[in-house]
Amino acid sequence: MGIDRKLPIVQRCAEIVSGLDPSIVKVEISWGDGDSRVLIADLSGRLVYDERPTTRLYVTVTAERDGQRQTNRANIAARAGLDFYTEERLREVAQRAVDRTMILFEARRPPAGEMPVVLAAGASGILLHEAIGHGMEADFNRKRVSIYADMLNRQVAEPFVTIVDDGTLERERGALNVDDEGQEAGRTVLVENGRLVSYMHDGISARHYGVGLTGSGRRQSFRHVPMPRMRCTYMEAGPHTRDEIVASVERGILAETFTNGQVQIGAGDYTFYIKNGWLIEGGRLTAPIKDVNIIGTGPETLRRISMVADDAQLDTGGWTCGKRGQSVPVSLGIPTVLVSRLAVGGESAG
Amino acid sequence: MLAELRERAAHALELARRAGASDAWASASRSRGVEVEVRDGQIEKLQESTSRALSLRLYVDGRYGTFDTSDLRERELAGFVREAVAMTRALEPDPFRVIPDPALFEDRPAEDLELLDRSVLAIEADTRIAWCMEMSARARRHDRIVSATVSAGDSHSLVASASTNGFSGWHERTSISRGGNVTLQDEGDARPAGYHYVGGRHLADLPDAASVGDEALRQAARRLGATQGPTRRGLVVVEPRAAGRLVGLLLGPASARASASSAPSGAGASASACSRRACASPTTRSSRAPSARATTTARASARGASPIVEGGALRTIYVDTYYGRKIEAPPTTGGSSNLVIEPGTRPLDAIVADVREGLLVTGWLGGNSDATTGDFSLGLRGHLIEGGQVGAPVQEMNLTGNLLTLFAGLIEVGSDPWLYSSTRVPTLVFEDALFSGA
Repeated sequence: MGIDRKLPIVQRCAEIVSGLDPSIVKVEISWGDGDSRVLIADLSGRLVYDERPTTRLYVTVTAERDGQRQTNRANIAARAGLDFYTEERLREVAQRAVDRTMILFEARRPPAGEMPVVLAAGASGILLHEAIGHGMEADFNRKRVSIYADMLNRQVAEPFVTIVDDGTLERERGALNVDDEGQEAGRTVLVENGRLVSYMHDGISARHYGVGLTGSGRRQSFRHVPMPRMRCTYMEAGPHTRDEIVASVERGILAETFTNGQVQIGAGDYTFYIKNGWLIEGGRLTAPIKDVNIIGTGPETLRRISMVADDAQLDTGGWTCGKRGQSVPVSLGIPTVLVSRLAVGGESAG
Repeated sequence: MLAELRERAAHALELARRAGASDAWASASRSRGVEVEVRDGQIEKLQESTSRALSLRLYVDGRYGTFDTSDLRERELAGFVREAVAMTRALEPDPFRVIPDPALFEDRPAEDLELLDRSVLAIEADTRIAWCMEMSARARRHDRIVSATVSAGDSHSLVASASTNGFSGWHERTSISRGGNVTLQDEGDARPAGYHYVGGRHLADLPDAASVGDEALRQAARRLGATQGPTRRGLVVVEPRAAGRLVGLLLGPASARASASSAPSGAGASASACSRRACASPTTRSSRAPSARATTTARASARGASPIVEGGALRTIYVDTYYGRKIEAPPTTGGSSNLVIEPGTRPLDAIVADVREGLLVTGWLGGNSDATTGDFSLGLRGHLIEGGQVGAPVQEMNLTGNLLTLFAGLIEVGSDPWLYSSTRVPTLVFEDALFSGA
């Protein structure tokens, strides 16, 4: 598909963003798309073909008020073609990028230290990806270097916590028809009603554990070796509501948007970086916050998930997961969740 | 091989001209990489790859585009260049995008940067495996060992470049690395890990395999029993191998490109501090392009060492030819090549011995910074320092603040730069930093 069909979409998005606020001084729209075609043949005679389109549009906004400058971003992604970029979607991502930028002018750092953290529905699925997902990839457990290596069939969370890694969600960035070992991509329940029930497997780990394949054997390209990877990782809806969760917090934060995360598989400690959020005081959102890192250990965080709302949603943004030098597209999602205690990298001690 | 690459670059320029490009810059390359990985005494990965590629920078009717391909078959290459020129024509015109002035490369230095070590080219497969086996054996000498994965790798690349306005040049370089990651069993379910990797351009610059395995194990063992540390303001000592990240975050926005990205007439957090104090006075930083045995290659327009921060004040920013035209400043270099912090007088141990109470940072986990404001928040691992001694290991902590404020509190630079990176930073000591845990 020629650039003559893509450029108008990028230009239209820039036009929308520029018109949304007079304090915007710079707009960057970046576009990326890929069209991967994979043919897998193995010695058993299996011959499998897959087509994997990806597309992502990234909006960066810089605004200036009273000599102060702020920059923030939003993006949308899918396994889809140009029809994905409707006027409505472009307006939505443009508005989101501008809102996230403008609120930074009022935002401050929360206090530092341990406190309750409410994770907003959608992008907060990064918690599952970093704190839990990587540790449940079976290669780390087969090698016994994951903190979850001895936890299979153990109760690891409250009974209202169910976590799934699913390759079958149509058009999601992490979705696959087949994995890179030719196995049909399925739906893998990792934590069911609080009990750890399965890892994500490639062929080697499935044989090691004597279990069925989960369709999680992925690789970046023909140059790389397949290994267990996440696809679309999400938590199912729980019994609480968002309002109940926020109202239950006397002093803590709500995390809304994120830039990145990382995990130590063996020690289990993970981080993610909050770009936008809110301070919660007396059960109410009182002030916007920005630029704080959250750090915790995966199993302890699972145990501390004390409320899960009924508003499960997948993030519309595009995420890319890196592991052992390989990058693959993934999706993530979560309902509003309360973690009773996490270390917050705030700005004042106390 | 060099003659073939030069011919390929020249041919690409010809194709670009025929397709309608006003100017072009082409680089043809061949690279080879080999890696051996051993887990718990058994070979887990043997990898060798060779690739050839062509990179093109095109200037077409006042527009600019960059393109890469590894499909070098004649018919496909001609089609690729035609399509590249057509795509460039679809972009917005930009009067600042013109091919670099020949004056920038006409009398460039000809000194040998020692980027090539022929002994790396002579390494045999059995030698890499033997190094790995030795590292693995040393790294596993602990009664709580869970797993040790070690690796040894090396690479070679040859690149020839040419431009339509007279540039012709080439470089050849090697790199070699070895290291390991060790996981130990702690109390409960935790399996703390530690790593040690070293790399350079010359085989002789690397420590031997046994000592690398020993150090990887020491790094893991020092994590045993880690607990969450406290929340307070105080002295933070950052080990050399961790200190590079802080300097990278500080100077990341110190480029004309970053300035232009954050605002049309503005600058990033560091760039806006140009000629202001960027850090406390004892330190001086330099970007040294053609440093002997450099880990990265000098860029074409970079000439010698240039101070980025001097006497604690930001003296210049990275300016490439494009942004140089935009901001009407002479080009320096597009980015950091080898970033060196002038060392102080004492190594880490001597510095710690004088610390009554503080935090030693041995590594980072995640975190990020805002290039526009300089605000940052990083996850960390390390140890408490008590009475001049390195104490209990800590984890689940963050270091948070603003980079300009943090570096304004830089009170000492060690004498012990980390040698296995293009950012050579010694121990850094900051006062009044905020770290948070429980």
